[in-house]
Amino acid sequence: MGRYDENLLKIAVDCALSSGAKEVIALLVQENEHQIRFSDSSIDVIKEWRRYYLDVFIAGGHPFGIGRKINNLTIQDPNEKKILARVPKEVNLLEQLPRSKLYLGMDKSTYGKYPSIKGLYDNRIENLWERAPELVRNTIHSATEAGARKVAGVLYFGKVRKGLLTGYGNGGVYTTSHCNATVRSFYDERSSGQSLVVTRDLSDIDRRLTHAGRRSGELAVKGAGGKEGKAGKYDLIMSPTVAANIFGSVLSGANPLSMIIGMSCLKGKMNKKIGPHEMTVFDDPLVPGGMNSRPFDSEGTPSQRTTLMDEGVFKGMIHNTSTAKLWKLVNSMKLKFWVRPKSTSNSSFGTMGMTGTDNDPRALMPAPSNYVFKPGSYGFDEMIASCSRPTIYMTSNWYTRFTNMAEGKFSTVPRDAVFLVEGGEVKGPVRNLRLKGDLLEMCGNIDAVGKDLEQVMWWEVSTPTLIPHIKVKDCTFTRARQ
Amino acid sequence: MDGKSLSDHAIEYGQKKGSQYVEARYIVSKDDIYIARNGSFLSIQYKQSEGMGIRVLVDGCMGFGSVDCTDRKLVEELVDSVIRTAKLGKREKPIELSDEKAVKTSWKVPVRIPFADVSREEKQGFIKELDGAIKKTAGRVIRNRIFFMNLHTSDKYIVTSQGSAVSSDLSLFSMYSIMNAGVKGASEQRMIGMGGTMGWEWLKEKDIAGMILREANNLTRTVKNATSLTLNKPVDVVVGGEVSGIMAHENVGHPSEADRIVGREGAQAGESFYKDILQGNSITDVKMGNDIVSVIDDPTLKESPGFYLYDDECVKARPRYLVKNGMLNELLLNREFARVFDTNSNASARCNSYGREPIPRMSNTFFEPGEYTVDELIEGVKHGILMKSFTEWNIDDRRFHSKYVGLEAYLIKNGEVTDTMVKRPVLELTTMGILGSIDAVSKEYESRMASCGKSDPMQPVPVSVGGPHLRMREIKVG
Repeated sequence: MGRYDENLLKIAVDCALSSGAKEVIALLVQENEHQIRFSDSSIDVIKEWRRYYLDVFIAGGHPFGIGRKINNLTIQDPNEKKILARVPKEVNLLEQLPRSKLYLGMDKSTYGKYPSIKGLYDNRIENLWERAPELVRNTIHSATEAGARKVAGVLYFGKVRKGLLTGYGNGGVYTTSHCNATVRSFYDERSSGQSLVVTRDLSDIDRRLTHAGRRSGELAVKGAGGKEGKAGKYDLIMSPTVAANIFGSVLSGANPLSMIIGMSCLKGKMNKKIGPHEMTVFDDPLVPGGMNSRPFDSEGTPSQRTTLMDEGVFKGMIHNTSTAKLWKLVNSMKLKFWVRPKSTSNSSFGTMGMTGTDNDPRALMPAPSNYVFKPGSYGFDEMIASCSRPTIYMTSNWYTRFTNMAEGKFSTVPRDAVFLVEGGEVKGPVRNLRLKGDLLEMCGNIDAVGKDLEQVMWWEVSTPTLIPHIKVKDCTFTRARQ
Repeated sequence: MDGKSLSDHAIEYGQKKGSQYVEARYIVSKDDIYIARNGSFLSIQYKQSEGMGIRVLVDGCMGFGSVDCTDRKLVEELVDSVIRTAKLGKREKPIELSDEKAVKTSWKVPVRIPFADVSREEKQGFIKELDGAIKKTAGRVIRNRIFFMNLHTSDKYIVTSQGSAVSSDLSLFSMYSIMNAGVKGASEQRMIGMGGTMGWEWLKEKDIAGMILREANNLTRTVKNATSLTLNKPVDVVVGGEVSGIMAHENVGHPSEADRIVGREGAQAGESFYKDILQGNSITDVKMGNDIVSVIDDPTLKESPGFYLYDDECVKARPRYLVKNGMLNELLLNREFARVFDTNSNASARCNSYGREPIPRMSNTFFEPGEYTVDELIEGVKHGILMKSFTEWNIDDRRFHSKYVGLEAYLIKNGEVTDTMVKRPVLELTTMGILGSIDAVSKEYESRMASCGKSDPMQPVPVSVGGPHLRMREIKVG
């Protein structure tokens, strides 16, 4: 990545401030990413993306009342000339814009030092593209050796360099690597198994990928010949992949934006017990190897761990500086007046999915880093053995949709191998069931938490989540009626 | 270099470097976005982006790359890299593309009032007025009103090494609203998507404000009045255009995508149950439903969200009858999968930006309107339900086992819609269960827009998901 020029950060910040902006953040990103997609045990396409852009966030002064004027711009393939031409125009445009009630200022403290996080970058990523197709073929081979008749999947890897500078002098530059894979094996048209690899560390990537291939192949074989599932009440063991999707939907409600727009089932639940003693969850941008781990957030606030759930009690929300202030204002009657509102280091240049492209407009908002569950005490075999009642073991799911996000009522479709567990043993595969649930009810019915964490991030889980198997009592399964 | 010259150069350069097929796509997109909650703007942004996507076929292997600059040297570097890595694919069975006629042409969306000619004040004013109107009539019940408005334009130039070159200008107005309604002991959420390939005139010509306001009032009525109803026996169900649209999309459109049938989406959006029904059958031998059931995917529908005249592989667009008179008729094909099925592309290749590869996608998918009025459909129901809109929905990844939960729904008795509102009726049906139960289709058509997700990386594309009313007989409602 020869052309990355971090001097552009200072040029952008100085230009915005001298043009009249009161606050500014410049974020310079260079990404070189690769992807190999495969299906029917053969490589379909090899892709490469080269992106280089500068995001500049600018804010006006403090008028009377809530909210300030803000504007964002993105400069692709940035250079000094483009910055000097575009930033002053966008600062001038502030005059014409209404105030955003969600922006109440950024972090003004000055930080000389940021935490160091192990395992963000592995320099073996530089030449991985040469070996990657062979790694994919080995993965397919290990799946077919395990019994798969065809294998599909995706290997996604790359390097990202990010530099940040705020008008208060905060920020820095860091580089990350990532290598993620989804492997889905098929034994026949209706019997499949899926396994994931989510890592920044490439030291063991060959073994991890072939293991994922083998695991998905084994699941596909075990899932073959499934009987039609019967609708009704079951206990449920969720694989980490499923648990990350379902409980991630609960945790997404610990975001003030979700609460404000009425999309959180956690509204009004602060300091209330919603789950068992074993349910402790953090938002942790410092966890080694976490796919969203980073030394600082988009306001230059040093990364810190935030407790979201503490022994089953909803304890905290993620915030950036603005939402922390806003929350204090809105809840002034409930919160102690001497407590200063503080960001939890979750400020992010997030998107609202308006265009669905890599160039979706970005805005400063609170966003989760990595969800990290505290390990429980159950090994997987022990969890299976604990099933005294009919239990469904789901290895994957997709298409989770809500009747009402504020109520947390939803259904989701089990995908890949699904098993019936009876008398403490896996009895065999079942098919064509649908899980219907209520997020808070399911939290309250957590019966066992596994001790082995896996990092999950794939098509159905966008926030990296380190989570074990989780068992939930009394879940409802339905099926198509005709 | 400008984007067009750069694309032409990329083609020439890629061929010189040994690629058997090269396709370059340069897109300049402009998005003028307004997001507001309860009349206050959370975000207003104008964003312009541009870049080039390149697809190559080398030794029967496909490569794709994108870059966001207009530097000739960097583009050449990308082409070199994409060709080099594509070769590493080492496929036993080479990828081939169907033979299609080379075209050099251009098309554009007719626009009477370009977005750029409308002031920011007027754009903001529309949302403020709409919010004010809802607040006035339903503000006590609908306490969260969120609007997302995107005024999108894009200039696209696609060129291939086989002699095609198509330029296009698109103008797409999209409007999404989320409304949360609550009264003591009950709450409901409503998400509505609407859009059209027009200019600013779309708002007035289609009375968008009036439509959202009516939906707000319907939501208020639903949250206040709907009560649970236990139905022990199957009943007839009439679904509105919004519900029939999502059914056409999920139960017929997605399984018709040829890449899913072949398995290319296996690890992402999934496969298709068509794989089973096509075993030993030719496509047109498969009965899907009653004779009156036809499902069309038509990108040429004027003013529609999924409008285009040439696809992303420069193939001329036309309406595609996916199901015709109850029989499976046609799949959604791009050039790669047309070759697999030994036929021609029907112009289903779409990509949502220069950074994504073109794959088979839907455009505007709907049940073909029939001969009945909605009143006539209702008159034929002795005991049943009218489900006008939906909330939760999902379907398995082979597109056979689906679920649709009703939002605005009424009890029908003796051929008349009653005032009794039914709370969240559930249709949990297979695709064949839906298509086989339809006995009448209305001539009235209702338009809705959605963003259809598929592929990895995800590439949502705008589609129409509206349609006529359908009458379904003897349905077990949950």
